[in-house]
Amino acid sequence: MSRRTRVITRTFALHWARALPRARFGFAPRATRRAAFARATRLALEDLGPAFIKLGQVASVRPDLVPPEYVFEFEQLQDRVPPLPAERIAAVIRHELGRPLFELFDDFETEPIAAASIAQVHRARLAREVRPVIGDVMPAGTPVAIKVVRPGAAQVIAADLAEARRLLSRLDRFGLSRRIDAPALLEEFAASLASELDLRNEGRVSDRFAHDFRDDRCVMTPRIAWSHTSRSVLTMEYVEGWRLTEIDDAARAGVDAFHLALHGATVFMKQVLVLGRYHADLHPANLFVTPDSRICYLDFGIVGTTEREERINIAQVLAATVYGDADRALCYSAKLGLEVPEDKQAQVRRRVGELMGRTLNVPGKAADVKGFATGFLSVMADARVPIPAGYGLLVKALVTVEGVARAIYPDIDITRAAKPFATRLIAQQMMRPDRIADRLPAALRAALRELVS
Amino acid sequence: MAEDQFMRFLAAWALVHETADEGWKAAVVRGAEQETGSMEAGPEAFVDGLSAMIAEEKERLKAALASGEVEAPGSKADVGSQLDDLLFEVRELRGRLESMQTTLDAVLAEDEDHGVK
Ligand SMILES: Nc1ncnc2c1ncn2[C@@H]1O[C@H](COP(=O)(O)OP(=O)(O)O)[C@@H](O)[C@H]1O
Repeated sequence: MSRRTRVITRTFALHWARALPRARFGFAPRATRRAAFARATRLALEDLGPAFIKLGQVASVRPDLVPPEYVFEFEQLQDRVPPLPAERIAAVIRHELGRPLFELFDDFETEPIAAASIAQVHRARLAREVRPVIGDVMPAGTPVAIKVVRPGAAQVIAADLAEARRLLSRLDRFGLSRRIDAPALLEEFAASLASELDLRNEGRVSDRFAHDFRDDRCVMTPRIAWSHTSRSVLTMEYVEGWRLTEIDDAARAGVDAFHLALHGATVFMKQVLVLGRYHADLHPANLFVTPDSRICYLDFGIVGTTEREERINIAQVLAATVYGDADRALCYSAKLGLEVPEDKQAQVRRRVGELMGRTLNVPGKAADVKGFATGFLSVMADARVPIPAGYGLLVKALVTVEGVARAIYPDIDITRAAKPFATRLIAQQMMRPDRIADRLPAALRAALRELVS
Repeated sequence: MAEDQFMRFLAAWALVHETADEGWKAAVVRGAEQETGSMEAGPEAFVDGLSAMIAEEKERLKAALASGEVEAPGSKADVGSQLDDLLFEVRELRGRLESMQTTLDAVLAEDEDHGVK
């Protein structure tokens, strides 16, 4: 056993041991027990550092591979590390952009705004005018955030990753990994890491988002300074505002929090149902509310996609879920690949219906999407129904959106955004003009029949 | 955008078939009484709501037709949005080129630093 392996094993053992009383040594109700061990695992991952934190973060967007309690616990993993000295960061900038810092930027601040295991962010001002892909020219002096990949980040993580691989193969012998598909996660991890290490991907996704929402006054993304950007350096407009993690009542009072929270949910619906690209990994820390009442999206992490053919079914599932129709929700879920075996259908339908009543349709209370999602995924796990990856990602993303909206306006009910959207979309998608221009009346009749069926 | 086009499209259909469907008219009356797009009451109410939305759009379309300001598909608005997309792609390409140029400059500067000319 290598020293590192011993440390890793000990860390997990320690945290799990501490979780035992909370789980009443295995006699607590199942949900309590699972939650206690999920929390212990998260604390262990945080202690173990960057690679494990990243691994946990990847696990947190894979409800198809990881039990729901873990998914929602790992989402809270904080990837924060002590910053590297500014000179090291300046050296990367100089090397990557080919010019000394002072030629490119003014007022480079040596104290970083954020330091995570992969990248560190510093504030500065543009030394000259820059024309972004979207939006107005950024004049010289514009404040920018420079995100820089830490030198050696890739190697450090690769080493820890190898360790994690060894460890997980050993864990296979214990019960833990029965419900966690470790090899699949590691593969995913390696892929997501490769794309995160190239910051240009983030810039492109950001520009694309700005384009998609060019007519929406309520959302924004920082403009990217491509002339000051390379693989490991991303220069973008610095955005003033409150992170959702730090928004308080004073801030809420200054903006239209209710409207913004609802709008945030609507943006998501539009991404999933119209544009086909959505943020699967929204984090309150990566969203800002600006003083002029806009939501600013930073760091796009994992982007999920939906195919045209899927969207109508997704809209149907959403609509059915929102008005508590378990039957329809499951019927359209089947079209998205969530297949409940014949002999389990009655039972699953009953449990899902009951869950809807308990979480989404409680008179006088805002819908609890997270409660519903956790319950739903558990019902599926109990019935041994495999969750298609895309389906799981979407469920998780919806929960994240609720979290984000609640950070802005704690009592928000995001199904309020889903309702009108899904209503229109079901009709709209079924009736896309290009498809039916030539056989109009027949299609309309068919659509209406579908809607009332 | 696309969504509005759809409503307009349905409205046009409804306009053409103004007298065709009594059930539709009844739905419009019921739907107009509820909040647009509300689904609490289930699929029936939903269809009523939709019908009401279309009826509203139909009235707008009637008015627009009367004033002669209606646009056909493939019209200005349509072409406009396609142009927007194209423009975005060109600008995005410019962004990529700028970033590549920067990287290229950096590599060349490095070579000079090491005395490789
Ligand atoms: N354009 C920006 N304007 C203001 N703050 C920013 C900007 N970009 C990043 N930050 C700050 O840096 C933090 C980390 O940036 P982020 O892109 O999320 O990196 P990471 O992927 O390491 O979390 C953000 O939470 C935010 O506080």
